Amino acid sequence: MPDIFIAEPKAEDTTAPEMPYVLEKQEGSDKPIPIIQPPINIRNSVRLFASFCKNPDGISFQSQEQGEKILLFLRRDFITNAKWILIGTTLAILPLFLIFSQQLFGNPLPFLSFKFYLLFLLFYYLFVTTYLYINFITWYYNVALITDRRVIDVDFASLVYKDIATTKLSLVQDISYAQVGVVRTFFDYGNILIQTAGSLDNFIFESAPEPENVVHIVEELIGKQNE
Amino acid sequence: MNNLFSSIQIVQVYSLIKIGFLIIDFAFIIFLSVVIKQVHAMNTIVNDSSDSSIIRSMAFFLFIAAVSLFLTALVIL
Repeated sequence: MPDIFIAEPKAEDTTAPEMPYVLEKQEGSDKPIPIIQPPINIRNSVRLFASFCKNPDGISFQSQEQGEKILLFLRRDFITNAKWILIGTTLAILPLFLIFSQQLFGNPLPFLSFKFYLLFLLFYYLFVTTYLYINFITWYYNVALITDRRVIDVDFASLVYKDIATTKLSLVQDISYAQVGVVRTFFDYGNILIQTAGSLDNFIFESAPEPENVVHIVEELIGKQNE
Repeated sequence: MNNLFSSIQIVQVYSLIKIGFLIIDFAFIIFLSVVIKQVHAMNTIVNDSSDSSIIRSMAFFLFIAAVSLFLTALVIL
């Protein structure tokens, strides 16, 4: 009996299955090690005052390995800068009160000329601007980076103290966060604790924005590493 | 005689304030040069290609402003 319908043979699927990671050979070992790919390939540019950015674009760090991608970029929440901004603003308007009081109570140093006062005023504002600038760069360069391979915490304090801590994602055992107080809950920031294996130091990202989201992202990464 | 004595005193105070101002401004210039160096070091560790130029320019601006203020004080005070 002749065949009425002959199905065409299925073409073999030659495309590689989707992999959440790529295999890369590392120096000193024969076995390839899985390197997790970022979940989203869209890169976001980091704004000047940003404190949270997924898949940041244009950010690099000193010990970045070839092909290592930054998945999460964190700074302290911007609201934590309120103290020095308030102090700086107060210092900026203080001379206005002094000029006003001088008009009311007279000049305490009458032998000083106008140019003296002008130079003092310029120096004072230069000092205030420097105070604001130093506080800003301290905030700006204190970052935490989560890459597809590592967790990096960069700490600067008072321009002279520098601490860069790094750990591999495979060594991260647990991640948790603490959000204590009304202000932290209202502005949604808190401390993130990353516990590492063995005698290695734990990581604390202080005042990190969206801690729940960060914990979720890192947990996903740890899960993928352990798969 | 009394007037002359008080005039000398005013000149001395004037000179002391001028020297004091110049010393403080000079120390501030040295401090700002340290700031420039530190910003450079920080930028080497974490580099943001979009905004790092603004941050670095600001440090240079502050340094130039402090040097200009020092020179101005040296000339006009």
